[in-house]
Amino acid sequence: MLELADCRGDKVALNKEPEPLIEVRELRKYFPIGRGLFARKFDQIKAVDGVSFRIYRGETLGLVGESGSGKTTVGRTLLRLIEPTSGQVLFEGEDFRNVKGPKLRLMRRRMQMIFQDPYASLNPRMRVEDLIAEPLRVQGELRRYAIGRRVSELLDIVGLPGEFRTRYAHEFSGGQRQRIGIARALALSPSLVVCDEAIASLDVSIQAQIVNLLEDLQDRLGLAFLFIAHDLGMVRHISDRIAVMYLGKIMELSDRNEIYDQPLHPYTKALISAVPVPDPDVEAVRERIVLEGEIPSPAEPPSGCVFRTRCKYASSICSSKVPEFREIKPAHFAACHLIEKIEAENAVVP
Amino acid sequence: MTDLLRITDLKVSFRTEVGTVRAVNGVSYTLSDGEVLGVVGESGSGKSVHALAIMRLISPPSGTIDGGEIRLRELDLLSLDEASMRRIRGREVAMIFQDPISSLNPVLTIGFQLLETLRLHLGLSQAAATRRASELLDLVGISEAARRLSSYPHQLSGGMRQRVMIAMAIACEPKLVIADEPTTALDVTIQAQIIELIKRLQREMGLTVIWISHDLGVIAGLARNVNVMYAGHVVERGPVRSIYKSARHPYTLGLLGSIPNLGDLSGRLKSIPGRPPDMSNLHAGCPFLPRCAHATSQCVTAMPPIDMVDGGSHVVRCWNWRTVAGIKSL
Repeated sequence: MLELADCRGDKVALNKEPEPLIEVRELRKYFPIGRGLFARKFDQIKAVDGVSFRIYRGETLGLVGESGSGKTTVGRTLLRLIEPTSGQVLFEGEDFRNVKGPKLRLMRRRMQMIFQDPYASLNPRMRVEDLIAEPLRVQGELRRYAIGRRVSELLDIVGLPGEFRTRYAHEFSGGQRQRIGIARALALSPSLVVCDEAIASLDVSIQAQIVNLLEDLQDRLGLAFLFIAHDLGMVRHISDRIAVMYLGKIMELSDRNEIYDQPLHPYTKALISAVPVPDPDVEAVRERIVLEGEIPSPAEPPSGCVFRTRCKYASSICSSKVPEFREIKPAHFAACHLIEKIEAENAVVP
Repeated sequence: MTDLLRITDLKVSFRTEVGTVRAVNGVSYTLSDGEVLGVVGESGSGKSVHALAIMRLISPPSGTIDGGEIRLRELDLLSLDEASMRRIRGREVAMIFQDPISSLNPVLTIGFQLLETLRLHLGLSQAAATRRASELLDLVGISEAARRLSSYPHQLSGGMRQRVMIAMAIACEPKLVIADEPTTALDVTIQAQIIELIKRLQREMGLTVIWISHDLGVIAGLARNVNVMYAGHVVERGPVRSIYKSARHPYTLGLLGSIPNLGDLSGRLKSIPGRPPDMSNLHAGCPFLPRCAHATSQCVTAMPPIDMVDGGSHVVRCWNWRTVAGIKSL
């Protein structure tokens, strides 16, 4: 919480904008497992377990992690698509969790989501114009003719020809569908858009088109993005800062370049070294840290540091004490007991 | 080095409701013994279909191999009857698929499925096959191999299941292993494990591998040669370094430009405009034409021939590759 007081992205520092758009404090989401009469209280999956971060206006925060790390749950809990178990989500300083009724509806306009699968997230029985107009109608903001005008505007913004408006989603390719999804998300002029694996199902050349579009829209509309993805190369390209999640916790958070060039947490180091680089010369010489084993079950996370079962540095303190998420260098946060020790050892070895 | 596989002018099509989809339109290449070939391309480029054709897994009447020749050493695969082909699959040529959960039978233990291969192809006794099966699991890095044989696929994680698939693929020590996006469904740290595993097996067993992937990063680290596929054609082919460092085809250049450049993060991605062609409605001429910035009138009329860029190892199918290369700043 308070230890995040100085956690600021460089972009924000330039803008001298101290107020975060959204601040997440100690967010937790536990899902019960095993239903029925005899289900025990402690049978639960700790999908998100004490996550804190901030997103500033116009900023992109990348959230990376492997499957089961809880990154999608963070995104959904942020938007209150699912209710958190505990913790706070402050949107412009106001606790989103306590807002109810019409006010909640108004706040929801400000936060939208782009989903991974453009095939499953668009209703096949609706025409493009109805898909895009639906949020406007639900929010009851505009009159009919104004809605029509707004739809044309939105199609134009996402680079789709106006004549597409009367067609159905199945007539479009994955990239075009994702543009429709983006238009829908932008309909209510949000301040924050959560992109949950928004490019994962697209071909490489189409991914690049969509990422370029998202970046243009950000510049034009001053959007903030929470960009959730497992493709670290693309996350580094689009993000200002990056948070690395593992088993429901943030392991490291820093500026995108710093986290790639000088990662501190052993998990981040392994994760980055596992990403193949599209350059045969680099691949030929680089050393890969191959992690043993797999991510443990979030129903029975390891005691202490959740990463310790796969960490080659793990010592006794790692199993007895949960590492604090702390600021190790200015604006560079990590949760590991041994960072200073590891860094000192690495400094000795040339 | 001798050629293990020689494909000449392979053509595959599928009959669908929307018309005939011409998935592979004249693919030719050779593969030498012990080589690792990377095949890259986007969905619908024909990379998986051409692999299925090598395995003769294109099933009529909807899908047919319309022409060409596939030779595994002296064997003409397309002329074999089904019974002979069954002896080739798994024994001489094995395949690892993207999604191990749908490739394994969910109601049979992995031991049963591994033993089946060993007994069928190698004629091993139950006891010998069981011994061999635990050796294989050991080899692919599955601990407590003997106990794991009685597990069902759903009891294993995605990475473990892919290890089982690899064990099954190498069980009969095939000459050629085709890996079709074997790591796409896996997390990066697990992907790294599987890549290291296949690399090690390839070295130790002298396997010849065709590795199909949409991920140019994965291919960069393991292939000796690369085929770039687009609309059922190999549009560029060459040693891995030539392809990544001096690509000539506008599509290859576009593909490389679409991935973030870790050296230069400030710039925009150089995306390829438009989208892949409708494979049921291909025109004469170069299929990349509608997305190409270098197109000339020649591109409209005919598919470009296979041109050699340097001494024959690097080839490209583009009418204008000489000028494209000149504007490599793309």
